[in-house]
This record gives sequence, structure tokens and C-alpha cells, in this order.
Amino acid sequence: MFLKFSLRSVFYGAGGGNDIQWCFSQVKGAVDDDVAEDIISTVEFNHSGELLATGDKGGRVVIFQQEQENKIQSHSRGEYNVYSTFQSHEPEFDYLKSLEIEEKINKIRWLPQKNAAQFLLSTNDKTIKLWKISERDKRPEGYNLKEEDGRYRDPTTVTTLRVPVFRPMDLMVEASPRRIFANAHTYHINSISINSDYETYLSADDLRINLWHLEITDRSFNIVDIKPANMEELTEVITAAEFHPNSCNTFVYSSSKGTIRLCDMRASALCDRHSKLFEEPEDPSNRSFFSEIISSISDVKFSHSGRYMMTRDYLSVKIWDLNMENRPVETYQVHEYLRSKLCSLYENDCIFDKFECCWNGSDSVVMTGSYNNFFRMFDRNTKRDITLEASRENNKPRTVLKPRKVCASGKRKKDEISVDSLDFNKKILHTAWHPKENIIAVATTNNLYIFQDKVN
Amino acid sequence: MECALDAQSLISISLRKIHSSRTQRGGIKLHKNLLVSYVLRNARQLYLSERYAELYRRQQQQQQQQPPHHQHQHLAYAAPGMPASAADFGPLQLGGGGDAEAREPVARHQLHQLHQLHQLHLQQQLHQHQHPAPRGCAAAAAGAPAGGAGALSELPGCAALQPPHGAPHRGQPLEPLQPGPAPLPPPAPAALCPRDPRASAACSAPSAPPGAAPQAATAASPPASPAPASSPGFYRGAYPAPSDFGVHCSSQTTVLDLDTHVVTTVENGYLHQDCCASAHCPCCGQGAPGPGLASAAGCKRKYYPGQEEEDDDDEDAGDLGAEPPGGVPFAPCKRARFEDFCPDSSPDASNISNLISIFGSGFSGLVSRQPDSSEQPPPLNGQLCAKQALASLGAWTRAIVAF
Repeated sequence: MFLKFSLRSVFYGAGGGNDIQWCFSQVKGAVDDDVAEDIISTVEFNHSGELLATGDKGGRVVIFQQEQENKIQSHSRGEYNVYSTFQSHEPEFDYLKSLEIEEKINKIRWLPQKNAAQFLLSTNDKTIKLWKISERDKRPEGYNLKEEDGRYRDPTTVTTLRVPVFRPMDLMVEASPRRIFANAHTYHINSISINSDYETYLSADDLRINLWHLEITDRSFNIVDIKPANMEELTEVITAAEFHPNSCNTFVYSSSKGTIRLCDMRASALCDRHSKLFEEPEDPSNRSFFSEIISSISDVKFSHSGRYMMTRDYLSVKIWDLNMENRPVETYQVHEYLRSKLCSLYENDCIFDKFECCWNGSDSVVMTGSYNNFFRMFDRNTKRDITLEASRENNKPRTVLKPRKVCASGKRKKDEISVDSLDFNKKILHTAWHPKENIIAVATTNNLYIFQDKVN
Repeated sequence: MECALDAQSLISISLRKIHSSRTQRGGIKLHKNLLVSYVLRNARQLYLSERYAELYRRQQQQQQQQPPHHQHQHLAYAAPGMPASAADFGPLQLGGGGDAEAREPVARHQLHQLHQLHQLHLQQQLHQHQHPAPRGCAAAAAGAPAGGAGALSELPGCAALQPPHGAPHRGQPLEPLQPGPAPLPPPAPAALCPRDPRASAACSAPSAPPGAAPQAATAASPPASPAPASSPGFYRGAYPAPSDFGVHCSSQTTVLDLDTHVVTTVENGYLHQDCCASAHCPCCGQGAPGPGLASAAGCKRKYYPGQEEEDDDDEDAGDLGAEPPGGVPFAPCKRARFEDFCPDSSPDASNISNLISIFGSGFSGLVSRQPDSSEQPPPLNGQLCAKQALASLGAWTRAIVAF
């Protein structure tokens, strides 16, 4: 009885982002900073939430697994511990174009589990790989022709026969590349998305989107191509793409101009003509040198229900209803105080940062990152928002995080932080929300923080 | 944390970004470079607008000091012997007589060049939008609405007056504006254009006779016209729509298509600018003034109709007084090659010479061999670079493609 009650309140996110009290749970990664290869570049929970994968700039994938605990008596949910680490991509050199191909993992997407093994797709700028992660906790022992250490026995010395048996061993998690999808993208891959049919997936680069079958590596279908005949006429690029969670024929892609196009693959083989175009007219009073930059969409995510989608541009998060194209239904300002600082942010390149965003399991709260290791949550029902900080200062487990506030101008109150003292090198670009529970993973530059809601 | 929202500094910052992206791991990032080029273009627009406003202001001041009888109806750009008829022509009142001219020759020339640049840009915008330009939008003659319609509508085709009789400034690109002094179809130049720069650009018929080429035909509006600076909306309106991207202007560029691996060399018209008044571009000085509008690629665009009088190899820009106030005559130089890079130059210069090798001849002249000594010390190379960038923005996209 008690179990059911607590689970339900967790699932529906009672009160949403603000009524939940978020507590520190864990932090992963080195304490001392600045190893470039450790910079986390993507974070993704799997479909059950039991596994949490991160990719980094050095091409490695680290998977954490949640401990299974007896939930009835738990005072907190299971911890996430390292489950598997493997090198997914290596740096390459394209000799034809004299280009180095970075090994940085741009995206990881999990496949739903079909058998004992787990599968995920990971991609760098040019190549997508399908990895199988499997456990081995038994091994055969008692071979007739082999010693235990593997040396072969002389058959003439065998006097008896026995049947080899499986004996338990220390758990070993193996990752092996099962498919490599290469040579299909001229430009840098920014997104991959698995179709709801679980057989196909799309990959998107700056100008094209390709459709793959998970079993077939030597060909893919090009479904969107926005490359102009004359590159001088280039005005926009594709910045993100995603399949609809339920309709296997529908996908969206966002552009650097702040538009989102929804395409139906049934309409034609090449989906250059969108079925729907989502665009909000620009506010002319906000026009500046950097208008084009800050309107560029950095991430697009469908809600779990499939009714809404969320886009992130530099200063705001917008929720769109798929049935209404001319404007978003909700807009949340993430850090509007930066609007007057755009010039400096342009100089130090921060204006090009690509923030991601995510939904909670019930689509009632959305979350995105900001600077100074702040991240923001917006409750769509209560319209309240909260700013929290991922910092090692609060690293006692179950320490409740204190809401933070940035003072945009004028008199700074106690505990507020002024805009000028924000650290723009500490940015949270990647966040993920557990699909079912109030557990979030927040990546700072090279640390991964896990927060949970307070469970009494 | 503040930085100067100065158009020129933005331009140099942007150029530096594009240059450094070339050496970053992972190759050129198309998205980031595209966004940087948008900033470049916006900064350029503002720079032009500001320059124009300032020159106009200066012109206005100077004009107010003139005795009234110097007011002309025509734009007398020039020779002291000009008939004193139409001086008061709105913002680009270039002065009514020899006196004024002698006083501010540089400013006037600047204004004129700036105007031409602006006209051309508007025409490019027009072309990008593929507006069918109505031939001679004879919306109204010099009518009252023009006065209130903002600066653009008053942009005289000042630029347009042909030096009727031997202007002292050689090669002043003037084209006939008024029906009076020059043979021109009256409707086009006299047409009133609404405030919207695009619409006014549309007034300049692409097939206008050669003499009227880069014309945003503007009204011969009544003298009391508001200064461009006083109609800020105009300059904001000058921000291009994103689809205008693709402003191009360089003489020759080599492009490598990443998909087909085909290398093509594209020749475009060359957009002159006040800092590059020398006839370095191969396309200037060739033949009669062409129509103002050219297609996006592979066309030679004539910019200074008067340029044809100049020798192609003429390197002396001094005679034209073609320098921005306080600037240095821009001596053209041979196109810098990567091998010619001098490590002991200032960082900007080294970047610029690398940029030149990337972008091709669109940037020739960026690195000046030796700036002429004039009233001012030689400007920083970054400043030169910025000025050049204002003229030739289209090379950026090709730079991206080239890698």
C-alpha cells in the first residue's frame, strides 16, 4: 500500500519542479579539472532508466547502472555505479580532404531492450556505431583438451572424459561493435534518433538527413537535403532532428533560423517539402547584431506523449503544440539577463553554446542548463521555475539543493549572484531525466551529477 | 564584461573567428561560420548606415552655412561652373558650388561612394528576393510623402549626377539624376520610393539604362528633409532578412564542393568600397556601365560608372580623395599568398594574409604594402581588413565551402 502510494506520487511529479525538493545524490568524474578528453558531450538514460550512458570528447562511452534495491525500505533510490567503459570512436584523418575527424561522441541513443543484451547507437561527426553491451557472469570450465589457463593438452594424455560445465565468475561487461554506419555524411552529424518501429533510425548533419536500417550498413536513404545548388546561397543549416515517439512516419528537424519542420515520410521519398512549418515571427524590437545566432535552435525533443515538442534556442525554451504552427504554446526564459551581454558572449564564443533540454517522464516539467553550473526547471502546470546549481559544495548525499537566483540588474540581494560574476566557463549543456522517476543527470564540463527528489 | 558594440570591432572579431576555425580540429564547422557571417553582414549594414548618416550630417552642417542662393534643385556635384539650380536636394545635398565642394571634397566623395555602395547592396537585396522590379516606380514625383518617408527615399540618386562638365574629381561616378541635365527617362529617377529599402530598391529597374544603373531612384524631395540619422527606423530596416544572405562580391573565388569534389572558379562583380577606390579589381574599368543588377554569380557588376575613365593599373587613389575621413589611401598590392606570410607582422596582418589565401582575390588589397603617409598614421591592418570586409562579404560562404 505504502509502496504504491509513493510510487504514484513520484511518477506524476506531485507539484512539479518546484514542490519537489531536489537532493544531491552522486557526482562522477575527476575532482581536478581540465582534462580535455574528459569533457562530457552527451548524457542519456535508457528506456527503463536503469542504465545511464555518457559520451565524452575523447570518444569514450561510460555506462552507469542503478543498483537494484529493495524499494520498500529504501530511503533513497539506488546509486548509479560504473557498469561498462569502452572506447567507442577513435580520431580519424580524412586524407582526401585533409580533415581531422574528431572522436568526440555527439549523441548516444539507446535501443529498447529485446533480450539480455543492451544496444546503443553512438555517433561522432561522421560515423555511427551500434554497440552491444552484454554481461558475462559464467564461464565454461572442465574442458577435456584445454587446461584451465588455456593451454592445450596433449590428447594422448587424456584418460577420462568429462562434460564442461558453466561456473559463476566475476561479472564482466563486454561492449562490442555490431554495426558500423560510415561514409554517409559529408557534414558534421548533429543528431541520431531511433524510430518507434525499432528497426530504422535517422542521422542528421548540417545539410542532410539519412534514414538507416539497423541491420544494413552499406546504404542509407537520404530523406532531407537542404543543400542549395549554389553554396553561396546557403542561409540555414539543420541543427537537430528527431523521430516522433509514436508515429513511425513522422519526424521533425530544426534549423539555424529558428524554424522547425515536421515531415511525413509517406508523402514522398525525399521529404524536402515539410508537412508543417513551426515558426514564431521575430520580435522586431529585439533585433540586434546577434539575432540570427540566438534564434538558432540547438535542440528539439518530442514530449513522451507525442503531442508537444520542445525547442531550445540560446535564451529560451519553447513548447510547441504539433497542431499549431504559428507560435509556441509556452515560452520560458532561461537566462534573459544575458540579452544585454550578447556582445561579450560573442567574443568569448559562448553565444555558440548548444544547450540541450529534456522532459520529465510525465511531460509536466522541462529542464535545461545554463552558465555558472546552473540548471533550470520549468513546471508547465504551476508555471513556476527554479534554478539549481551543480556544485561539489553540496555533495553530502541527500543534501537539499538551495534554489539560486541571478540578479539581473540593480541592487543585489543577499544570496543572489550578479550577472557579471557568473562563470561562463562552467556551463551545463547536457541534462537527462529518468524516464519514470525524479532522478536527473546533469553534466558539467567534466563531471556528472545525479540528483534525486527527496523521498521521505 | 562589456565590449564595444562597434561595427568595425565586430567585423574584426568575426574575421578572426572565421580564420581560427580553419585550424580547429574537426574541420570547419559550417553552422558556426554561417552564424558568424550573419554577424558580419549585420555589422556591415550598420557600418554603412552610420557612415552615411555621419556624412550626411556633415553635409547638412556645411550646407546650412552656405548662403541661400547656393541652393540648387539639381545635384550639382561638381564643377564650379555648374548652374546654381538645385542644391537643396535632401540628404545628399552635395553642395551647390565650388565653395562647398572645395571645403568638403572628401566628405562628399565619401558620401557618394557610400551611397553607391548602399544602392548596390539594396539592389543585391532586391535581387536576392527576386522581386520583379517595376520599371520606374513612378509612384509620385517629388512629392510630400517623400519628405516624411525617411532617409532612403531621399537618397538621391545623387549618386547619379553625371559630372556635366569635367568635374574636378576625376572619375566621379555620377549619373544623370534629373531629367534636366542628363538624358534619362524621367520616371525612374524621379520616382518616389516608399520607405522600405527593398521597395525603393525595386524602384530602380534592373533594366534601367546604363547611365542610371545603381540607382535607387529616389525622390527629388523638397529640401526640408529629415536627416537619415533622424529616422532610425530606416537603418533598422536595413538589416537584411536572412534570406538576403549570399551577398557576394569578389572578383574570383575558388570553391571546392565537398560532395562532388569539384573545384570551380567563380567570377563575380567586384564591389568597390570607399577604402578600395583604387582600380585593383580587374572588372572595373571595363566597358560601359553595366546594369546595376547582376545575377548572383558569374557576372561582372559595374560599380563606378566613372571608373572606366581610370586606368586599370592606376594605383593612385589619392586623386580621388577616396579615403574615409582620417583614413589612409588604400594602396592595392599584389595578392598575398600563403607563402608570403610574414610572421613578424601584426597578428591581424598575418591572419589577414592567411585569409586572403583562403578566400581568394576577394580580399586582395587587404594587406597593403605600404600605406601612403598622409595626415593620419597608417591604420591597423585589422581596420583595413574590416573595411574590405564591408565590401566583400560573400566570400565567407565560399570560404566555408572551400573546406
